[in-house]
Amino acid sequence: MISLIRSEWLKLRTVRSNVTMACFAVILPLAITLLTTAFIDVDSVGDRAVSAVLLGSGSLSVLLFGIIGVLAITQEYSQGTIRLTLAANPRRIRAYIAKGIVLTILSGGLGAFIILVGNTAGEAILDSRGAVGKLSNGDMGQAYLALIAMSVLVSLLGMAIGTLTRNPPSAVTVLVLWPLLIESLLAGLLTEVISEEAYKWLPFQRGLNALLLEDRDMDFGRWGSVGYFGLWILAVSLFALARFKRHDA
Amino acid sequence: MITVEGLTKKYGSTIAVDSLSFTVKPGRVTGFLGPNGSGKSTTMRCMIGLDRVQSGTALFDGKLYRELKKPLREVGTLLDAGNAHSGRTARNHLRWLAMSNGISPKRVDEVLELVGLIDVAKKRVGQFSLGMKQRLGLAAVMLGDPKVVILDEPANGLDPEGIRWIREMLKHLASQGRSVLVSSHLLSEMALMADDLIVIGKGRLITECTVPDFINQYAKKWVVVKSPQLSSLVSLAQGQGMHVSLGEGVAEFHGVEAATIGELAATNNVVLHELSTQTGSLEDAFLEVTADAVQYHGHAETQSKGFEI
Repeated sequence: MISLIRSEWLKLRTVRSNVTMACFAVILPLAITLLTTAFIDVDSVGDRAVSAVLLGSGSLSVLLFGIIGVLAITQEYSQGTIRLTLAANPRRIRAYIAKGIVLTILSGGLGAFIILVGNTAGEAILDSRGAVGKLSNGDMGQAYLALIAMSVLVSLLGMAIGTLTRNPPSAVTVLVLWPLLIESLLAGLLTEVISEEAYKWLPFQRGLNALLLEDRDMDFGRWGSVGYFGLWILAVSLFALARFKRHDA
Repeated sequence: MITVEGLTKKYGSTIAVDSLSFTVKPGRVTGFLGPNGSGKSTTMRCMIGLDRVQSGTALFDGKLYRELKKPLREVGTLLDAGNAHSGRTARNHLRWLAMSNGISPKRVDEVLELVGLIDVAKKRVGQFSLGMKQRLGLAAVMLGDPKVVILDEPANGLDPEGIRWIREMLKHLASQGRSVLVSSHLLSEMALMADDLIVIGKGRLITECTVPDFINQYAKKWVVVKSPQLSSLVSLAQGQGMHVSLGEGVAEFHGVEAATIGELAATNNVVLHELSTQTGSLEDAFLEVTADAVQYHGHAETQSKGFEI
C-alpha cells in the first residue's frame, strides 16, 4: 500500500494543473489574511475579526482542494491513464483508497500550513502594529481544526464526484454549484415547503457552520457538523467506489 | 502461458466477445487477428480486468490478473499508446508506474534506453509523436521484465525502422521464453513475426493455429506454367475439366497439383519452361477466412453509378 500511495503522490505532483491549483489554494487565503492584517484599522479590529478573515478565505481553499480532488481522478479518465492505473493495481478499492489517502495528506497538510503561516504571520503583523493578541482567541483553535477537516472532506468529495462523472468540467461544475447555488436554492425551497429548520440538514450548510468562530446556530456543535458532513461524504464516496469497482475502465 | 476460457463480454444486447477460448504459448509470438470491430481490443481489456466480463476467465500462468500482487512484473500490456498524461514527462510517466509495483527507479532509465527515448526523458509526453508514444508504451511494458506481453497494434505510427525494431524485439522476447500476444493490422508484418495465430470475427474464434498451417489451410493455391506450347497444354487441361486462366505467356491452373500438370505435359510431349506452385499471402488467407465476419465494408470509386446530367 505504501508503494501505491507513493505512486499516487508522484502522479499528483507531476501534473502542472494540480500544482497550480494547490498554490492558489495556499496563496489565496494567506494573501487575503496578510493584506487584511497589514491594512486594517487596528483600533477597529474586533477580537475575532482577523481570524474570521483567515477562516473565511480558508473556505475558498476548501473548495479549491475539492477541485484538486476532482482533477486527481478525472485527469485519469480524460488522459486515459486510468487503464494503466488499473493495470498496475487491479484491486480497484486499494487504488481508490491510495488516491484518497494522498488527497487527505495533501489537503490536510496544506490546510494546516495555511493556518500556521496565516495565523503566525497575521499575529506578527498585528503585533508590529500594536494590536497584540487580537488574532488568537478562544474558539479559534477548534475552528482552525475544523477547516483542516473540511479541506480533507471536500477533497474526498471532489474525488467521489469526479469518479461518478469521469469528466473534469462537469465534476467541477457539480462541486462548485452544490454549495454555492444548489444548496441555496434547496434551502429556500425547504424553508417554504417543510420548515424553517429544514435547510440545516443540507450537508454544506451544516459543514460550513463548523468554520464559524462561535457556536451560534450550531445544533450539532462544531464537530457534530463536521461529522454530519463527513457522513454525506462517506455515502457519496461509497457510491462512487461501488461504481468505480464495477465499471469498465 | 495465457489461457483464455469462455470469455464473454456484452454491451447491452451487443455481444462483443462471444465464448472466446484460446491459449498463448510461452516462447512464441502469437498474432491476434480480426477485422475492425471483431473484439480484439475488448478481449485484451477483459483479459486484464479493465472491462468486466459476463463470463469466462483469462489466466496468466494459472492466475487471474487481479490475483497478481505485482502485475507489471508478470504481465506487460500496451493497449493504447495515448494512455499517458500529456503534461507529464516520459520519465515521470514510467516512474509512477514503476513505483506502484515496487520496481527500482533505475529500471526506468534502462527501459527508456531500450526503446531509444533516454534523450527525451525529460520531455512532456504531449510533445511526443505517435511513434514516440508507442515506444514509451513499450517501455512501460518492459518495465517489470514480464513473462507475458500483450500488445494492441504496437506498430501504429512507427516508421519502417521502428516497425522492424518492434518485430525484432517481439521475436527476441519470445526467444527468451515469454508469451507474446500481439494484434496488428499489418498482415505482412504479422507474417514475418508471428509463430501462431488466433483469428476472431464478430467476437468468436474462427481459427487458432500456426502461421504456415493457416496459410496452407485458407490461402488459395495455384500452379503457374510457362511453355512454348501453352495453348496445347491449356486445351488438354480444359479437356480434363481443369480451371485455367491465361496471362501473357503464362497459364494459371487452379484446383490442381503441379505434379498432375507435369504428368499431363510429359504424356503429351509438351515442353515446360516453368512449373511452380504459388500460394496466397497471409493477407489473402485472412481476407478469405474473415469474409463473413467483416462488419464495415468500403466500396471502391469504380463501383459508382456515374453522374446524371
